[in-house]
Amino acid sequence: MHSLRKTPLNRVHHDLKARMGDFAGWELPIWFTSILEEHKAVRSWAGMFDVSDMGRIWVSGKKAGQFLDKVLTRSVRRLEIGSSQLCLLCLEDGGILDDLWVYHVGVDEYLLVWNAGHTERKLGWLFRWSESDPDVTFRNATDDTAMVAVQGSAVCQLGSMRTLCNLPRFGHTRGKIDRFEVLVARTGYTGEDGFEFISSTGDVSPLWAILMNEGVKPCGLGARDVLRLEAGMLLSGQDMDASTNPFEAGLAWLVEFDTRDFVGKTSLLEIRRQGIRRKLIGFKMKGREIARSGYPIFNSGQKVGGVTSGGYSPAVGIGIGLGYVPVELAIIGNEIEILIRDKLVSAQIVNRKFYKKGGAE
Amino acid sequence: MNPKGYKYTREHEWICLEPGNTGKTGLTKYAETQLGDIVFLDLPAPGTEVEQFKKMGEIESVKAVSDFFSPASGKVVEINAKAVDEPKLVNEDPYGVGWLVRLELSKPSELDALMTSEVYDKYVDSLSHES
Repeated sequence: MHSLRKTPLNRVHHDLKARMGDFAGWELPIWFTSILEEHKAVRSWAGMFDVSDMGRIWVSGKKAGQFLDKVLTRSVRRLEIGSSQLCLLCLEDGGILDDLWVYHVGVDEYLLVWNAGHTERKLGWLFRWSESDPDVTFRNATDDTAMVAVQGSAVCQLGSMRTLCNLPRFGHTRGKIDRFEVLVARTGYTGEDGFEFISSTGDVSPLWAILMNEGVKPCGLGARDVLRLEAGMLLSGQDMDASTNPFEAGLAWLVEFDTRDFVGKTSLLEIRRQGIRRKLIGFKMKGREIARSGYPIFNSGQKVGGVTSGGYSPAVGIGIGLGYVPVELAIIGNEIEILIRDKLVSAQIVNRKFYKKGGAE
Repeated sequence: MNPKGYKYTREHEWICLEPGNTGKTGLTKYAETQLGDIVFLDLPAPGTEVEQFKKMGEIESVKAVSDFFSPASGKVVEINAKAVDEPKLVNEDPYGVGWLVRLELSKPSELDALMTSEVYDKYVDSLSHES
């Protein structure tokens, strides 16, 4: 068996007897006690996730902003210092290499936070487009930092987080949790309020312990996947990849066609002009079966697409999912069928925001 | 930890012989722990003929789906409707109220091929020391 990369919290997870698994080459907790309990903790109080597997890349230098404007689908020109935004890294043909957060940390200083997969390819992509310009420098801080997401409706009731609660949504700052220095952002991937902080590798275990003492429940990837799916958030590499474009994936809002030129712009304009053929939909099962990633979608006896994410939703109380179907079928209220092993099972196309703060849709 | 007197399969099902040639079946503690929160049971209708070691149902947890194989050949006489309504009973009490299917056995001697609790305890132990 190949050896998995370990985060600075690996020992802590093992001490807590977490069920560990392989996620994009990293050994991470799938669950600590139960996915349902962890899901409930985040929806009703607070939970935390080790997200140290996510890549953290500093981009700095006089031309850092100019460079990011060339490779990202949203301009950083109007992104104020202390703010962050979600955007896409697209290939020249408009395919999605990844989605990522850009933090504008200081003058000519940006931080990219991206998904764990395909790191070499993404770094290679950045190097290629920077054309070795001495005014753009990269530093991969993934290995010498740790990252934790603290998420939940009650995060602002936590003593350690209280001073951070004046941060606006998507805002970030260098601050302190207890006595430890962190870079913290009001972002997340669960559909709840929350923070994601980056600390030194040495500080993260005591920080984790402090949060646990405040009643924040350690949560694994299983709960994270359910929470993001309920919130209608896409998982890169699963719901979108190099073979999907932002329009099909319902991510047109992450593409800004302003006056600047950026990688993929020509293709994306052409795709927009021609129109898309398939579209990402949200669906809700009619019965109690559960559709999962890879199951085929049928309409009138014909295979028309596939499920990209699917699972049981505790908030909805039934199976939900995301998948691609031809654009003419992608209408809310339409019925589709999903092949679950050897049975065709009915599902209904619904808004993919299955859950909104304060209760299920 | 696994009840004595029950018989076990390598795929982590159990069967408990009852008077009158019937047997109650279910999922073992090990299987339940591996699957995590169980949310849906797809069990065969009463009257269905099943064969030993052949698939007779599916168990869905939040994380994954798993086949449920029959520990013996025979006919389904009853399924646990309470567990179908409330699948978490299988997590809470896999050998008791979380049982799954009651079979009328057609070849009771097949059970000789299954593991006793002592052998199954050791088998599970060897699995947890792998990897």
